[in-house]
Amino acid sequence: MNVSKKLYSYYLIWPALLIYSIFFVLPALIGLFYSFTDWRLDREAIKFIGWDNFERIFTDRTLLLAMKNTAIFAIVTVLGKNLLGIALAVGLNMKLKSKNLLRAVFYSPSILSVLVISIVFTPMLRSDGTINRIFEAVGLPSLSQAWLTNPALVIWTVAFVSIWQHTGFQMAIYLAGLQSISKEYYEAATIDGAGSWRSFRSITIPLLLPAININLMLTLIGGLKVFSEVFVLTGGGPGNASQVVGTIILRSFGEGSWGLGTAVNTLLFAAVTVIAIPLLIFMRRKEVSE
Amino acid sequence: MSKQMKKIATGLLAGIMTLTLAACGSDNSGKGNAAATDSGGGNSGGGSGSGKKVTIELAISKSSQDSAFVAQDVLDEFEQKTNIKINLQLLPAEQTATVLQTKLAVDEVPDLIQYNLASATTDLNLERNFEILDNEPWVGRLLNKDVLSAYDHVYSFHYSQDTGMQGVVYNKDISKDLGLEIPKNYEEFLAVCEKIKASGITPVFMPFKDNWAANIWPAAAFADWAAKNEPSLFEDINAGRKKWSDVPEFATFLDQQYEVYKKGYTNTDILSDSYDMAVGKFLNKETAMMFMGDWLIVNVAEKDPNVHLGLFAIPSSEDANLGASPLGGQLFIPKKAKHMAEAKQFLEFLASKEVAQKMVDSQGSVSNFSDVTTPKLPDYKQEIVDQYITPKKTTLTTDAYMIVDRSELYRLLQDEFAGGLDAKGVLKAWDEKFSQLMKDKGVEGF
Repeated sequence: MNVSKKLYSYYLIWPALLIYSIFFVLPALIGLFYSFTDWRLDREAIKFIGWDNFERIFTDRTLLLAMKNTAIFAIVTVLGKNLLGIALAVGLNMKLKSKNLLRAVFYSPSILSVLVISIVFTPMLRSDGTINRIFEAVGLPSLSQAWLTNPALVIWTVAFVSIWQHTGFQMAIYLAGLQSISKEYYEAATIDGAGSWRSFRSITIPLLLPAININLMLTLIGGLKVFSEVFVLTGGGPGNASQVVGTIILRSFGEGSWGLGTAVNTLLFAAVTVIAIPLLIFMRRKEVSE
Repeated sequence: MSKQMKKIATGLLAGIMTLTLAACGSDNSGKGNAAATDSGGGNSGGGSGSGKKVTIELAISKSSQDSAFVAQDVLDEFEQKTNIKINLQLLPAEQTATVLQTKLAVDEVPDLIQYNLASATTDLNLERNFEILDNEPWVGRLLNKDVLSAYDHVYSFHYSQDTGMQGVVYNKDISKDLGLEIPKNYEEFLAVCEKIKASGITPVFMPFKDNWAANIWPAAAFADWAAKNEPSLFEDINAGRKKWSDVPEFATFLDQQYEVYKKGYTNTDILSDSYDMAVGKFLNKETAMMFMGDWLIVNVAEKDPNVHLGLFAIPSSEDANLGASPLGGQLFIPKKAKHMAEAKQFLEFLASKEVAQKMVDSQGSVSNFSDVTTPKLPDYKQEIVDQYITPKKTTLTTDAYMIVDRSELYRLLQDEFAGGLDAKGVLKAWDEKFSQLMKDKGVEGF
């Protein structure tokens, strides 16, 4: 095979590479440049200011709170969406008459717009909303809370709503993973005397690792980049109590601090990369093949 | 792959890319060139006499598209008289500031912008980006230049002077039924609240999910106190000579608003309730009062003219003045407008006695031109004129003096009601943010 024939397949990626470079790589590099400037609407000329924007990020209390909230949201949703997703997938992988209906029911929230979720949950989570009324009706009034307006609770509430909405999507990926595991392994394990838990631990989990990896990556990146859920449910409030990095970027642009906003965005990109890639490599090494 | 195939593939790819990029750019370039093409290019002055049709761009928020400035009959009449066509750029309401900031930053400016003066000073860098209109022929006929001015210059146009009055909107019928008087100070206000509460009606509706709504009381109270006690206060604050927390009365005013809530005179879930619920609350007589602007009265009257609302000054101190904010959406001309002369001609047309009279009549507004007669006003507005505007008992709200984005202040005010900060904490945190924002703007003293 001559060299030009060997390179033939690479020609096919050029259009995609070109478009990707123009619309992603180039803006990202331009963004990186602006994050080191004092770019503002009211600047006659943009000035290079080194690490000033990044220093400010780490000294601004609201920005630090936003980072803390982002971390809480990411950890809670990664755990919630994946643990519940696996549990639902295992349950709905069993022989149930209504499993197709239940799969559709659990998956359906993930196709809803986050605006619809806001319209549904905002009145439910009010102090006099449905959730608190249910607590009162079952004799647990002490559990009633100001779910979206208590600064100590609000980010957890938003995380809960996100888990409710997206777990069905994670469940679908886990279901696909479960269905690719051969039944013969379970039959062999049963003959060897393994119970359900042992089979789950020693067969299901190891062979489900590719699906777990995908879901962990998706939920982690989604958690770190969270914006829409917070924006529509709380707008980052009350006060700044539920600000996350995504809403801080919006706030910075709204204040006209475009350089700062770009720096926060750059930092988010770096954080997602630094956390996600090593985790992906680590998890890939754990994968086993059938 | 043969050489011929490669050439064809490369040619196709190049063609697709060119088309893609051309399509991406066509919207802007198309709009940008429209005016120049129509006008024969450049700032020729166009208009009547030139014989050439000129199209000028007016950017306006979608939420303001029912503004009298852009009524179709007004635009048609202008076009007939001058051969200048106004093309409306309708901007999404929630993105208006961002879109305009971007347009100004990249010099892709419309010829006219409808925005509000207080926000234009902070969001759009008024001094740098907009034309001073001091020498326009209609300025000499203005009755109240203040509502159109900033930094001692007229920067905007409006035919009326009565927009954006802020205070306590109240239900006159409830007041009459309970035999209440308009409170002259804070203690009287609490007494009024107590009587309303005793009648089973919520005295005050606080929709503080929308954090800007928490600023109505302090914005009027701060300005009223400063105007009467320390007229140079905001000048000193903007020069870094004083801090917000240096004025103990400011903390008192914040405490007052919080106390109204703590005493149970409000809706219980103030941080979950939003402004869009306000009209319903008044229509259903669920609430008697609200700290808001006169636009709420108009909104309620549109739904039910039989609900009689009025407005009185925020009773933060003895016999306070009514807050006046130059809101409502004035017209501005960007310095880099491609058709400056035509844009000014449009303002001159709107300011003409006939057109201004027509707009004032249709809107029931208080004229801002000496030769335009104010029509019979709605009752609530006539009261405002008689009780506050004519005796000069109005004060520009604090917003008018702030040259930085105020949204963080609103969030801090909301935080006071969420229990995160007390009044002094709000002012201290705002001092820090304010200082940072002023420093970002390069203001001396910060």
